[in-house]
Amino acid sequence: MKRSGPLLTLLAGLLFGLFMLSLNATTGTKSASSAYQEESPASNPSPSPSPSATGTTPSPSTSRAPVADADYAGRTDDDSAAVAVTLRDGRAIAYFCDGHARESWLKGDVEDDGRLRLTGKHGAKLNGTLDQGKRIRGTVDIDGGHHAFTADRAKKPSGLYRATATVRGATLDGGWIVLRDGTQVGILNRDRKPSPAPRIDPATGTVTVDGARLTARPVTP
Amino acid sequence: MTVDPNAATQGFPSPAPGGRPPHPARYLVPALVAGAVAVGLGVYGKVHDPAGTAFNLAGFSSTGAVKSWLATTAFLFALVQVVSAAMVYGKLPGPRWSPVLHRWSGRAAFLVAVPVAVHCLYALGYQTYGSRVLWHSVLGCFFFGAFSAKMLLLRSERLPGRLLPLVGGLVFTVLTLIWLTSALWFFRTFGVTT
Repeated sequence: MKRSGPLLTLLAGLLFGLFMLSLNATTGTKSASSAYQEESPASNPSPSPSPSATGTTPSPSTSRAPVADADYAGRTDDDSAAVAVTLRDGRAIAYFCDGHARESWLKGDVEDDGRLRLTGKHGAKLNGTLDQGKRIRGTVDIDGGHHAFTADRAKKPSGLYRATATVRGATLDGGWIVLRDGTQVGILNRDRKPSPAPRIDPATGTVTVDGARLTARPVTP
Repeated sequence: MTVDPNAATQGFPSPAPGGRPPHPARYLVPALVAGAVAVGLGVYGKVHDPAGTAFNLAGFSSTGAVKSWLATTAFLFALVQVVSAAMVYGKLPGPRWSPVLHRWSGRAAFLVAVPVAVHCLYALGYQTYGSRVLWHSVLGCFFFGAFSAKMLLLRSERLPGRLLPLVGGLVFTVLTLIWLTSALWFFRTFGVTT
């Protein structure tokens, strides 16, 4: 009789893989074992540990965040910098970038009424309001500066991109805002030293840095 | 007491000497399945738009850390695989239960590697922008094909004596290279951190 062990092993691996894939596909940026609020518990089959271990209130099981997922990009009122915001499932990530040396990544939640209060490193703050989902009006406080901005709804390829890599021992971290008219504002950090970033091809995210080809990916909260 | 490796795959009743030559299907099917698995994974990785999702486990600082440690665990089980295989084939003195050890350490290594591979394919995709990621992508696909082949070959009886150790050794070598192009790179770049 042919032994069944090997086939069962393969089958077990396949099923486990499909299970992990479904977790990846349904929980977005959070996995089943992380202590975050669950956006769609109905489709998450695994029994996860207490969802409010971080102290955030779990969202009611029937409703998703009423604020729609969208990307926004625009410039500050004084035209010195660009701001982009990405909303996904009630979470927001924003990037303030002047294309030279000042930048900040900010994160936080989107309130149901469309208000954003995001925070970043070194006390950076973004306070804004969604205007009927069409644009975000707000202010960014960074390094002692205060900048008002308007970010309009952005459609691919405009939006927010990030690439991180190590090339020949140097750690690279680049952020790009691609605006509606095609202009790009980005900063590339080499071992944490900022400089204007080279252009990316927004359709593929490809950018060449110091001879190496990197891929910048759309940023999600 | 050494174990005769050929006895494990002989059919019952024992085949008569000079019996039928092995049917080509016993090599063809594993090879075809292996190819299909490897190519299938590669195509999925290339065609699917990488999602950049995170994979978090309590106690670890990042997705890269989780995967690197899981991959290292798989690699450690793979080392047990090599040693236990040597015991099964009588090259090293070992207990009577070395075949059981070999089977179960193998299952453990495989199952631990699966979530790592799923995340790699789903969130990062098949990448060719640098030689490290290129080798990792190619070898990663190849590994699952080779492992499938090894599993399917085991179901056959009367294989040429060297075939199983060869395929097993190939699986181990490929896994080592995969680990070097990912976990080792991670530990060298970010430190041996959790």
